[in-house]
Amino acid sequence: MTAAPAVETKDLVKVFERGRRTIWQRLRREHDKRERFRAVDGIDLVVEPGEIFGLLGPNGAGKTTTMKMLATLLIPTSGTIRVLGIDPLMRPREVRARLGAMLSGERSLYMKLTGRENLEYFAALYHVPPGETKARIEKVLAAAKLADRADDYVERYSTGMRQRLALARALLPDPPLVVLDEPTVGLDPQASRDLRDRVRELKAQGRTVLLTTHYMEEADQLCDRVAIIDHGRIVALDTPAALKRTIRAEEVVHLEIGLDGDESAVIDRLGRSATVARSERSNGTLTVTAHCASARDFVPAAFDAARSTGTTIHHVEVVPVTLEDVFLALTGRALRE
Amino acid sequence: MSLLGADLRAFIAAARKEVRQQRRYPTLFLGQIFWPVLLPASWVLMGRAYSGNDPQALAAFADRAGSSNIAVFVFVGYAMYNWLSVLLWGAGTALRQEQLRGTLEAVFVTPATRLVPLFGPGVGMLLPMAVIFASNFLALRFFFGIFPPIGAVIQAAVIVVLGIPALYAIGALFAASVLRFGEVAPVVQLIRGMFVLACGITFPVAMLPLWAQVWAKILPPTYIVDDIRRILLRGDTIADVAGDVAIVLSLAVVTGILAVAVFRYLEMSARRTGMLGQF
Repeated sequence: MTAAPAVETKDLVKVFERGRRTIWQRLRREHDKRERFRAVDGIDLVVEPGEIFGLLGPNGAGKTTTMKMLATLLIPTSGTIRVLGIDPLMRPREVRARLGAMLSGERSLYMKLTGRENLEYFAALYHVPPGETKARIEKVLAAAKLADRADDYVERYSTGMRQRLALARALLPDPPLVVLDEPTVGLDPQASRDLRDRVRELKAQGRTVLLTTHYMEEADQLCDRVAIIDHGRIVALDTPAALKRTIRAEEVVHLEIGLDGDESAVIDRLGRSATVARSERSNGTLTVTAHCASARDFVPAAFDAARSTGTTIHHVEVVPVTLEDVFLALTGRALRE
Repeated sequence: MSLLGADLRAFIAAARKEVRQQRRYPTLFLGQIFWPVLLPASWVLMGRAYSGNDPQALAAFADRAGSSNIAVFVFVGYAMYNWLSVLLWGAGTALRQEQLRGTLEAVFVTPATRLVPLFGPGVGMLLPMAVIFASNFLALRFFFGIFPPIGAVIQAAVIVVLGIPALYAIGALFAASVLRFGEVAPVVQLIRGMFVLACGITFPVAMLPLWAQVWAKILPPTYIVDDIRRILLRGDTIADVAGDVAIVLSLAVVTGILAVAVFRYLEMSARRTGMLGQF
């Protein structure tokens, strides 16, 4: 018998209203002119038990909205959700009891309480049995490497420590499923690495981890599978390696070309030797991202193209294919935009 | 552990968390010691100045207030004003602070009942209230030389405790609206002002127009304030005010059921609109 998916959604939709409707407009019963937009637009998702699954996309793509619906904080406009086989709309408390959620990071902590006091409070909210509370707190503190700072006020913690404490809190109920919304946002590289290590430990413990991120390296390094999400829709879903294979390029070349006139001629010439994924002109410099089978062949061709069109290549950078390139190929935009 | 037991433990933890946070700002307690002395004392002195301690003026006051003891009348009113402020807005303030701080969603993803964040922190606010009551009592004793009989003080305290559910229930109605509308403090200020006017907090209800006196009869604070004054000033006992207590408890049940229903409705609304995480 196969285990039920940790998370399953079908045609999940969340519609929000954009704009304001004043009290005066309500009192006068004026027509509601607010725009309705689909923050999540028909997401089908199956997260298998024990995997680290990533939702990768730019800000505003619908990642957090999806997470909040899974965590019972938002009610979907339509579609179905099952979390650990349970319908969160019908039995929300059962879902909350089995779910470790870290949704708003360091802001979700009480700054004037110590780390231990925060955990004591949330242990009670998570219905951790009184006899187990102390041991459970010590365990998550040790795992978060915060045991020596447990009795300091949280306001004296670094951002990385607060994120680790927020994750420790999410683990208090010993949940089989952990959802993390942008867990490393705002952290320095070392703190990000520490947190990613913690996430890998969670997988090693047999837990399922569903995380959102807009950092491609994070999704690439951490996730077993990644769903690339844009404008509320999943545009691709597979393992990071398989996703990178979809763009049919071995290498990515970034070029900076100085030019005065029209850029179409040089782009056209470059396009004969590679796929021009993106081009952007700014202050007399044309920045081009090209996907190619071999940079060794493409770069000389690019210089030939520049020479023949009267332009000059100022900078060349060859990098391996990343999920950023996959996103670029699928949407025509960079993750940062 | 049963679900009810687990929720009760969560409730106590929420109150404890609130007390712990208050303790981090010890200077707040200074205000809770001095204002309950200075403000009502100045009103008492004003009252004495206006009446000139003229027996005729005091008799006119006694005719409307049921006692010529201006100091106890004013101090009870002031204590009740603070009591009302804390209970009516305590739950709402706590929820609003959670919302602004960003902790509300973290609390709402736990399996604890929603009544925990709604009422738990409010219980933690009873500690500063106890400080305010104690300051009031000591001011009466040392500045005005008034020694209410200890038996009457205990019975008045029982009335205060019996009034908690009704006032909490009204407060919960406002608190629920925080989930949907965010900042509702101005509305609460308005309602609190109306309560102060209508419920005989700073002057006898008899001073109101007749139609306002009828409205005052459906507001729990009117009974609570009047009963406390009857016990402290006129020597009545709890048995004498049992009818009023029954009315207050009945209003508590009705308002409490309404508050829970409104809270559930507005929580669902907030989960539909996304207001839960916005401020």
